[in-house]
Amino acid sequence: MRLPYKLTAQPARFCTQYANGDPAVPQALYTVRSAAPDLSGFPLPLPSRKQDYTCFVQTGDVCWYGATTGLTRYEPNAARKDQIIQFFAAERDLQDNCVLALLADGDAIWVRTETGVTHIETRLVGAEEKARMLLHESQTIVDRWGMYSQKDLAVPRDLSSIFPYGHSDNDGGFTAAFAVGELFRYAVYKREKGPDHPDTIEARRTATRACEACLLLLYIHGRGDGFVARTYMCAEEPVPENGVYFRIHGDKAVCLDTPATRERGSFLKMYGADLKNNVSEGHDVCWAGMEIDASAPIPERLTHCFTESGHTREGIFYKADTSSDEVTLHFLQMRFAHDILGPDDPELDALIRDGASALLRHIISHGYELCDATGEPTTWAKWSERYFSTELGYVDACLNAAEVLSYHKMVMHITGERGEWQESYDYLLSRGYAELTTKHFDRMQQMALLDGVHPYEDIMYGDHMLAVVSFWMLCTLETDPVLLEKYRQGFRSWRSSLEREYDPGYDIPYALATGDDIDMDRMAQWLYRMNISRLAGGVSTMKRHDTPVHLRPGGYKEISWLLPNDERFISKYDRNPFEYKDVDSGGLFCVESCYIYTYAYWMGRYYGFFE
Amino acid sequence: MSNQIHLIGNAHLDPIWLWRWQEGCGEVLQTFRAAIDRLKEFDGFIFTCSSAAYYEWVEQIDPDLFSEIRDMIKIGRWVPVGGWWVQPDCNMPSGESFARHALYSQLYYYKKFGRICKTGYNVDSFGHCGNLPQLLSLGGMRTYVMMRPGMHENPDIPENLFWWDGVDGSRVLTYRIKDSYGHTGTEDLDRTIDALNAMLPEKQHDLMLFCGVGNHGGGPTRGDLGHLARRMEEKSEETLRFSSPDTFFETVCGELLDVPSYRGELQHHASGCYSATSLVKQLNRRAENRLAAAEAWDAVAAAVCGSAPSAAALKEAWKDVCFNQFHDILCGCSIMEAYEDVKNSIGHAVTIADRTENAAQLRIASRINTWLDGINEPVTLLRHHCHKEDFPRPVVVFNPHAFPVRYPVRTNYPSKAVTDAAGRAVPFQNVRSSRSNDSHLDTLFLADLPALGYALYWLSWLPDDEVTETCFLPASEDCASDLRAGETFLENEHIRVQFDRNTGTICSLVTKADGYDFAAGNRLAAPTVLDDHTTDTWAHGVFRFETVKGEMELESIALAEYGPARAVMRVKHRYGDSHLTQDFILTSDAKMLRVKCKAVWQEPFTMLKAAFPLNGTDTVNTYEIPGAFIKRPTNGEEEPMLGWADLTLTGTDGARHGIAVLNDGKYSCDCPDSTLRPTLLRNVIFADHYSYRPAADFNYTDEGLHRFEYAILPHAGEAESTDVAREAAVFNRRPNAVPVGYRKGDLPPVQSFLSVTEPNIVVTAFKKCEDGSGDLILRAYEAAGRNTGRVGFVCDLADAGFWADFRAHEVKTFRIGREGYVTETDFLEGIIQ
Repeated sequence: MRLPYKLTAQPARFCTQYANGDPAVPQALYTVRSAAPDLSGFPLPLPSRKQDYTCFVQTGDVCWYGATTGLTRYEPNAARKDQIIQFFAAERDLQDNCVLALLADGDAIWVRTETGVTHIETRLVGAEEKARMLLHESQTIVDRWGMYSQKDLAVPRDLSSIFPYGHSDNDGGFTAAFAVGELFRYAVYKREKGPDHPDTIEARRTATRACEACLLLLYIHGRGDGFVARTYMCAEEPVPENGVYFRIHGDKAVCLDTPATRERGSFLKMYGADLKNNVSEGHDVCWAGMEIDASAPIPERLTHCFTESGHTREGIFYKADTSSDEVTLHFLQMRFAHDILGPDDPELDALIRDGASALLRHIISHGYELCDATGEPTTWAKWSERYFSTELGYVDACLNAAEVLSYHKMVMHITGERGEWQESYDYLLSRGYAELTTKHFDRMQQMALLDGVHPYEDIMYGDHMLAVVSFWMLCTLETDPVLLEKYRQGFRSWRSSLEREYDPGYDIPYALATGDDIDMDRMAQWLYRMNISRLAGGVSTMKRHDTPVHLRPGGYKEISWLLPNDERFISKYDRNPFEYKDVDSGGLFCVESCYIYTYAYWMGRYYGFFE
Repeated sequence: MSNQIHLIGNAHLDPIWLWRWQEGCGEVLQTFRAAIDRLKEFDGFIFTCSSAAYYEWVEQIDPDLFSEIRDMIKIGRWVPVGGWWVQPDCNMPSGESFARHALYSQLYYYKKFGRICKTGYNVDSFGHCGNLPQLLSLGGMRTYVMMRPGMHENPDIPENLFWWDGVDGSRVLTYRIKDSYGHTGTEDLDRTIDALNAMLPEKQHDLMLFCGVGNHGGGPTRGDLGHLARRMEEKSEETLRFSSPDTFFETVCGELLDVPSYRGELQHHASGCYSATSLVKQLNRRAENRLAAAEAWDAVAAAVCGSAPSAAALKEAWKDVCFNQFHDILCGCSIMEAYEDVKNSIGHAVTIADRTENAAQLRIASRINTWLDGINEPVTLLRHHCHKEDFPRPVVVFNPHAFPVRYPVRTNYPSKAVTDAAGRAVPFQNVRSSRSNDSHLDTLFLADLPALGYALYWLSWLPDDEVTETCFLPASEDCASDLRAGETFLENEHIRVQFDRNTGTICSLVTKADGYDFAAGNRLAAPTVLDDHTTDTWAHGVFRFETVKGEMELESIALAEYGPARAVMRVKHRYGDSHLTQDFILTSDAKMLRVKCKAVWQEPFTMLKAAFPLNGTDTVNTYEIPGAFIKRPTNGEEEPMLGWADLTLTGTDGARHGIAVLNDGKYSCDCPDSTLRPTLLRNVIFADHYSYRPAADFNYTDEGLHRFEYAILPHAGEAESTDVAREAAVFNRRPNAVPVGYRKGDLPPVQSFLSVTEPNIVVTAFKKCEDGSGDLILRAYEAAGRNTGRVGFVCDLADAGFWADFRAHEVKTFRIGREGYVTETDFLEGIIQ
């Protein structure tokens, strides 16, 4: 019996930036004189070199040491080990790293650096309160017709410079994960506060809206064949260069001419695809201008996602070449939407059943591949033996086998039917897919050996989420003990790379699926040290004096310890947190979705890991 | 293309075994010459050879031959494998030794041949510890070739190709040679090729066949190669190809590879090897620890005093140690004459270590401010001067560990009082020295030492007229002690030990924190003699030693010392013509009972064990292995161990309790059911191979005088939850006291140069980088088997302080560069990019 870990309110960073000369800044900050601290014999590693510290100030039991390379907070009696030494740096916490003066302000401090002034306060924030703060930010800034991935900025950290449009390549996947977090929140509130509590009602509304945004991607293209779009944009938005897009005009959709479209055609040709029958006349390799059917209707229930902002379907352009990432996360979202919203929302549940069935039927009927309008498989959504026998597919096979098997289990769960799904599942089992799910670690090692790199260099961090979802679903939906053991074995083969991250979003499903122990305290730390904002900050993992850099044999650089979330770059569930780099994963010019936190936190609450 | 058999031409070379090293060296030269000749005679033939030590011999003695080898390596006809100095025993060297094997060898290969070895290669070594995958990988090798144990000895290990997973999760693709590394002769080769051909369809991957006369060198003969070449040509056998292990592994990795995995250690082949010939084992442990300590102090002195580091001498010493870890040497199964050479060779290494450490510590000590007002001569070590002037004499105690240590320090001459640098009284007592003239007493005091640093103590001279013949000095009021002792018991704050006055064994051992009695009806530390005449030096075919001849008989038991710092119970036993004296030493505030042994052993074909029978169920054995620990079943099999072995069980009170037995140079232990039995001595005939024993006046591996120590650490909970790793580290690498003069120095009386924040992280090396850059190398491993985040290292010496995460059992190496910036690297210290 696992007892819930009691999360408590923990210090969070509230940093307010001021320009030099701002009347709110106390004059004393400009005149204060402070000697360099004597740090000889200091018992712990410090983020800056000792000779770089130039000033210090004490606030209660806390010492603040200013350096030419950042600000260090030292609380020798802090309740948690990770809070004893904390580092504050540009651009998330400070305006630059050259600290010139410090001035105490009760338990807070004023920090003057070369280019400005920062007021830093550490306030106690509960884990749920943090989820609320992050959600509020995402709803206010990141939400794009119900989709949650990120919004771009023209000027780093300047929210007034936000672009009204913008998308992420994985809008669908990120939104699905966001939706799952919100579904868990709704379920927790419903359980704890009752269905009529305002918080419960609001949570249900948010979860429903996110699920509808996801479901819309199954219909927005009008293909009517179960395909799922990566994302979509409305008519007036500029067409990005980084994808294959189709613009809807009436009952047709036309492929837009982008560099990616041209590359995509070349890519397929390079791999021997016969494109002659799949392109419009006059377009040999490039699909630009290709016209396809888009007549399938969008369910009325879902159109509000774009109509509420005054848009219509006409002119909308959607992004094709969908990858297995989206497909996997859409199925996860549909599974929990069915479980949590379905009983009280039959209309939505019917859409989920239909959508999930259509998507899986598409995959099965196309030989376990997701196909674009050309009839050719998308670049990364292939679960076929044909793909597994290629060089790329050999490595992907173990994860992709788990993915496609999990789709079957989820659809059987959602529809309550076995029939064609069980038949297809059995076929995959007969082709050795279950065994294949156990080979991930072997093949990763084999490829690393062949390439002369460390296995860690070959980790695709974006695969972690997909593996977790697939094995979590397989292990919790499969009842056959032999298969279950294989799936657990498969999940365990991912453990050595998963456990590097100490991410509750991974570890909770792992514990649920395998029954193995996980480090609850490290998970709590992950939550405690999450920033209160997803505004990119350009925090560097480089040049910290207390952080060794590890050059791997293949040339990849990592840092030697997992920096707390609030001291490293912001990322989604797709980046190596050990990466030796100096910008956030989405670049400096963005605000990211809150889902990385809300998904993990509410999952922990839902399953009783946290209280 | 169908799967193939890779013909690996090689020559197994034992530099010492049934011959001395001089003959082994000649054998290497002849074999290498023959190999070059064969390479010239047979196109396509490829020669594979391990062991950097052999290449260095050839380079030094026959540069022309070396040049030819280098040319052959350049064109891929000669393939060096096994980036270690020799093919060592793979159970007994420390984790740090394995790091040095890789460091010195791979750097040598890189310097001489422009490449490092990718394949680990220990085809004759008798067992392979569970941490070897990590130790190989960190040395640049992620593929491995081994042979023992064979299928007949351990069929659980997959046949030929498999993924081998170490205790930390590291993995190497491993090939287990079938039958022999030295197939030769037409008949043997044909038979083996046919057998492997028959296996190919089932295995679905390539296989290797190792051919060439071995042990005393030789390599593939002209006849063998001619036969193989003809067979390939005449029979058009596409399945055969001359190859190397490197090519084999590249080939199998380029194909669909579906092979089994195996987790843990690869044991057992020769269970007697971990106890035969105590001499080499004790010397090995001593050299490993003294060298590591010497390097640390050398690095500190270079930074603090600006002295030139002794890197070249230390490297030579380590190479001596690595050479003598060759499996037939360290396993104690070579001829008697060889061990005279071994003694000299390791002695040479230890001497270098001691000289280096001494010079470094004196340099550092000379910078410490020890000046006392009133001293009229700046430097004096004359105790009579101190005595006359009533000045205390300064002693600096150096702690080589990166964690604080409380340690009983022994220095020459008796004292009236001991104080620390702050003037606080320190528990001490005057104890009998080994000398019989002069004062015949030494001072023993409990020093509190900072992490990898030193502390200054002041010892007040005990006037001659106050020296008494008794060592029973009561505690002063200033330093009241927790020690109690009587005729048959010892006791301190943590444990109480009661001895049986009839047998001299421990009849009660109680941990005071929980009141648990580990003996309770049993007798612990019972010196037990076993029969060992049916097997050979290796103990081929024998995996359990079960025939007890009897227990040693008690001759006497007496309380030998009792003071505020320690109490000593001296117990003497006898068996036949053999004698064992054990001093059971309990120090104030210690959780561990130290046992200092002197044995005079005369019993042929015997094994001496100390037996610790415990009461309880759910027994688990835990053993230290190189750079880690491993759990083993309590099935009575003789097992290799390093610094400690542990038996933990559910005791009579329903809670988990255990006893760890630490040692300073023993490597073998068994545990039938719930009795832990470290092996203290094994006295069998030298190099007795399969017990073919034409009559002779035999010499035995352990006859004569032995001085060694072990220690008993009772504990609650599992072994890995205790301090056993640190205790064993201190037990083997001991603080050192240096008497100094009076100087006006600039160093404080207490100073730490390196510390680590977490108790389960053990630093094994702190040294200068081998590239002469002046950078420092720090290596540490996780000792409790649990992932440990945010481990802090503070090294003011280099203005460095950094954090690192450790996986369970992970070994990490850091390079501290200019201005204290740190890179994480591996055993090759970041020198080869």
